[in-house]
Formats: sequence, C-alpha cells, structure tokens
Amino acid sequence: MRTFRSTWLFALLLISALVLAACPAPAAPVADSDAAAPAEAAPAATEAPAAEAPDFKIGLVTDVGRVNDRSFNQSAWEGVLKAQADLGLTEDDVKYIETQDAKDYADNMGQFIDAGYNVIVTVGFALGDATIEAANNNPDILFIGVDQFQGEALPNLAGLIFHEDQSGYLAGVLAASMTDSGTIAAVLGTDLVPPVVAFNEGYIAGAKSVNPDINVISTYHPGEISQAFVDPEWGAATAKQAIDQGADVVFGAGGITGNGALQEVATHEGLYCIGVDTDQWDTVPAAQPCLISSAMKLIVPGVAELITAAHDGNFSGGNVFGAAGLASFHDFESVIPQEVKDLLVTTKAGLDDGSISTGYGN
Amino acid sequence: MGSTFWKRSSLISIGIALFLVVMAVLVNLTSLSQYTWLRVLFGVSALNFTLRASIPLVLGALSGILCERSGIINIGIEGMMLAGAFAGFVAKTNTNHWPLMSSLIFSVLIALAVGGLMGLLHAILSIRFRMDQIISGTVIIILAAGTSSYLYDRDAIAQGKFSSVAIPGLSDIPVIGPVLFDNPPLTYLALLLVVVVHVALFYTRWGLRTRAVGEHPRAADTVGINVNRYRYVNTSIGGMLAGLAGGYLVLEAVGQFQEGMTAGRGFISLAAMIFGNWNPFGALGAATLFGYTQALQNELLLAGVTNVPRQFISMLPYIVTIVAVSGFVGRVRPPAAEGKVYETEGGTE
Repeated sequence: MRTFRSTWLFALLLISALVLAACPAPAAPVADSDAAAPAEAAPAATEAPAAEAPDFKIGLVTDVGRVNDRSFNQSAWEGVLKAQADLGLTEDDVKYIETQDAKDYADNMGQFIDAGYNVIVTVGFALGDATIEAANNNPDILFIGVDQFQGEALPNLAGLIFHEDQSGYLAGVLAASMTDSGTIAAVLGTDLVPPVVAFNEGYIAGAKSVNPDINVISTYHPGEISQAFVDPEWGAATAKQAIDQGADVVFGAGGITGNGALQEVATHEGLYCIGVDTDQWDTVPAAQPCLISSAMKLIVPGVAELITAAHDGNFSGGNVFGAAGLASFHDFESVIPQEVKDLLVTTKAGLDDGSISTGYGN
Repeated sequence: MGSTFWKRSSLISIGIALFLVVMAVLVNLTSLSQYTWLRVLFGVSALNFTLRASIPLVLGALSGILCERSGIINIGIEGMMLAGAFAGFVAKTNTNHWPLMSSLIFSVLIALAVGGLMGLLHAILSIRFRMDQIISGTVIIILAAGTSSYLYDRDAIAQGKFSSVAIPGLSDIPVIGPVLFDNPPLTYLALLLVVVVHVALFYTRWGLRTRAVGEHPRAADTVGINVNRYRYVNTSIGGMLAGLAGGYLVLEAVGQFQEGMTAGRGFISLAAMIFGNWNPFGALGAATLFGYTQALQNELLLAGVTNVPRQFISMLPYIVTIVAVSGFVGRVRPPAAEGKVYETEGGTE
C-alpha cells in the first residue's frame, strides 16, 4: 500500500516539475495566438497588393529575452506601440514574439511573414543576419532592424543604429567632471557586440577630453554573447572590484549585467553611476541613490518614426541614425555644477555639428 | 578528532587561503607593490572579489557537508539555492515598503525557510519513500528551476540590498581590514557558520552522532541513536544553508532575481565540498580557490591584459576546478554509508 502511494507521489512531483519547467513564459501564448491571424490576414494581403494595404500590421521579434526587460526589447516594443497610437491602429495590428533561443530567430520572423505582416521589427545586433536573409526573401515586406548596421543597403530593410560613441562620449565627459579620485570605471556587456564597444570607446575618449591623465578602468564580460547581458552578479562584483581600485564613477553598460553594476554602486555612499540605453532612473529604481544620468539611445522614437515612414510610403532602406544623448539628471540636478552642464551642452553641439570627433570607427 | 580535521586535502585548501592572505599583506605593505603583476594577483580588489564569489560556494558546501555527513547525498544544492533565492526575492518585493533592514532580514528568513523545506522534501523522498538520492536531488533541481521561472514576475522590483558594515577597529587593519572586516552582514554570517558547523560536527554530541549515522548507521542504531531522525534534521538544516546561499545572491550580491541565477554554483559547491574532504574549513579553502580563479580572471581583464586571448583567461576557473577535483578526488573519502537507505532490523520504521 505504501509503495503504491509513494509511486503516485513521485509521479506527481516529477510531472509537476517537468510541466513547470516546460512553461517558463506566461507571455509565450502571444506567439500562439498569431496562429489565428493568417486566416484573416491572408485574404487582405491578396485583395490589395498594389494599392496601400488597408490592413497595416506590425510584428516585433525580440532578441533572447522578454519584451518587458526594461531595456532594449522593451524600448523597441514601446516604439511599436507609439506608432500604433500615432497611426490609429488597433491592438490587433501589432504583435510580438519573444525569442526563447537564438536558433529561432528565422522561425519567429517566419510566423509574421506567413501571416502577411507589413512591417517586421527585429531587435538587436544578434538578429542581423537572419533579418537580412528574411528581407532578401520577402521583398514586399519592410523590415526594421534595431541596432543592425547595414553593410549593403536593401530597399526594404532599414537598420536603426545610433551614435553610441557620442552618447558614451557625453557620459565620459560627465564622469570625468564628477570624479574626485581621478579614476572612473565602465562595466560592460561583451565586446562581441559593436554598439557596446562604441559606448566604451566614446566613454574613454570623452573622459580623456576633460582630463588626459584620467585613469579609466573598463572591462567587458568574459563570457559568451548569450551570458554577457544577463549576469548581474558579475556586473555587481566587477563594479565593486573597480570601486576597490579607486573608481568613484561607474558606467554600467550591458543590459541586466550593467544593472547589477548600478545597483552595487548604489549601496556605496558618495559614489556616482551612469546607466545606458534608456533613462534607467525609471527602469532600475534601486540605482537612484547613485544614478546621475544615462547614456541613452532613443529607440522608442526611432522605431516609431520608421514605422510611420513605412506606413506613409516614405520608407528607405539602409542605415538610419536615431538620436543619442544623455538622460536628465533627476535628483542630481542640483549636485552637478553649472559649468559641467554647460560643458555637456557645448560638447553635444560639437558632436552634432562634427567639430568634436569621438575617434571611434576612424 | 585531530586526524579527521588535518586530512591532507583540507590542509592543502586551507594552505591556499592562508597563502593568499600572506601574499596580500606582503604585496600591499612592502615595496613589492611596485610590481603591477603582483598587484593584479594579490591586490585588495582581487581578494574582495574572491571572498564575494566564494561565499555562495562556502554555504553550498556546508549544506552538502551536513547532508552527506549524515549519509544523505545532496546533489540538489543547486535547486535549494535557487528556491532560496527566489523565495528571498518574492519576500523582498512584497516588503519593499518596510524599513530596508527589516525587509531584508525578513527576506533572508524566508529564504532560509524555503531552503529548509526543500531540504525536508529531499529527506522525505530519500528516507520515507526510499527514492534514489541522486534522482531525488535532480527532482529538487528541476522543481526549483521550473517553479521559479514560472512564478517569476518580471515586473517585480526588489528595492535595495545589504550594504557593507565595517567592524570598528578591525576594519582599520591594513589589507586584512578592508577584505575581511568591511563586508555586508551575510558574508560575516557565512564565515561564522564555517566555524559553527566545524565545532558542531567535531566537538558536540550531536556532531559525533551525525558522523556515526553517516559512517555506520547500524552501529549507531545499536547504541540507541535514531538514525533517520538525524538524517531528517541534518538534511533540513543543509537545505536552509543552501537557501541562505540563494538569499545571499539576491539580497546581498545583486539585489535582483534572475532566472537560473545560481548558474551552476550548487554544483561547484559540491566540488568544493569534495575538494575540502567534507570538512568545513577544507570547503572554505576550496571555495576560496575557486573564487580566486574568478577574481584573477577579472583582474586580468581590468588590468587590460590583452596579449593573452581573452578565451584563455575565461578558461581559468574551469581549468583550476578540473585540476583540483581530478587531482584530489581520489585521495578524499566520503562518509561510508552515504547514499544508502537505512532500515532497522525487521524492516519497520
């Protein structure tokens, strides 16, 4: 009798463990619900291939990660939602698929392609090759690749890229102006991703422009591209290591890894940190005690503008530069001296008109 | 008892820890500090990183020691850690509006409790239901990984984490002060627990009985020790320690939860436990070694060493782990009755 009962207990435990392990994503059904879409979307596409499609559908494929990652994917999705609002589209016209594994990029795009979507947004450097291939195979669909540099311009693929080096340069100017110790640090995602390198190179150049003798400790995550942005423990430990070596301003640039660095700096009094990509004052509230600004790339308006252009027929392929710059200082508004603010303004103007070069990419 | 403690392998791992401290003092306080490479190897920041990386390994290894000394193989440390981390995170996000300290302490207690429950589950499966202990441990791991990622609310934000508390006086000692006496509370607790577990295992009646149960349960039973009760208690306490390691990651190291954030630390803890020959101080030494290799990797990157391909630097922790475990695993001896179900003569419980 007892062995009988215990068998059931094992079975139940194992089944529940496996079932739970199998469904980590409550958001995954979004992809499934698209299965219903082809039926209604397909006739629409065949009905009016020449004129402007009456039905305008936008699909977004994330890089490995969630659409609410408070970083990159989320900004791109907010850009899609902004375009939806601007163009007066319904909620059903915009969908996203969260990529679970890097090998699924093409399949996820394929779901939108098969469903007759008009615009497909792919988020992240890592999807670059898959997006180019899909754009080549589907000349009637417009693609927007966030952070994807286009070596060869395709008419239906726009790479939304940013001058990360300029954004990083401003962060470097700010860091070098705020340091007391003469040592500043950067804790970064991987150097396998060019925008991260651009942030770093710009940061170093900006810091040196203020103080040529400044000591900049900057380090990339040692792991693979798949770990480099999701390792907050490494980010925190490395930030601490830099602090131990005298750094008093830390630039955290590397998704969740960088967020770990910001949160670590926040637990040490009197130190400053600078976030990345979005205004991290909102996305990482735990970093507020140290967060003087963020080196932003304005993904939301960039994506929205490209979608609007696609809708209005003004879409052109190739590289499109989005705006980059520093976020506001929030609570540190009064801490940052006026001359530093002025310096940032003149530097930004210099970068914009080309009179200041970050030295990156030359 | 002396012979149990001073086993060769634990001597080696304790030696490693002492060597690091001595070198650090020498390098930082003498003219040796002019050599950059020595500062890279033994600087204060390298040692701080070492300690930080080794704390979850130490706690995980202590968890393994308590379980295995009483005869229960605990391969599920990884799962217990993850469960503790997740529980601590959930508790923290729900008490964000409390004062920071009480919220953090409450979350640590929850992490301990959930880790303990996972340990108890492992004990029930292994003892009451006589499940193969390796399989039971695997169930724990899958259960924790699946449940935590299913229930994880990605919008939840944990506000704040433990900051460093300098111990007055001691933290002013050069080199040793900033490394050992200027840490967040759970780090002190973990180091204290090494001493506590050591004393408990080798100097108390409870420890003697635990070891007897793990070495020769029949003999222990004969003199009136309730074998399975000792195993239940030890495995549950072991689970609590693993839960504490998870709580450390969320509430002290990072301040946020991440799916699968234990990232194999439970398994490295097992390696540290074996390398340390099932001794608390041995495990501390082994964990220090593993932590140090990670610190070294980072120090080399921070120092801008670029003439070695980064991939080789990244390999460092793994190579040292493999060499350490493969080089010493043959010379250590696990508790004799480990992994075997104990049944009294006559077969009733």
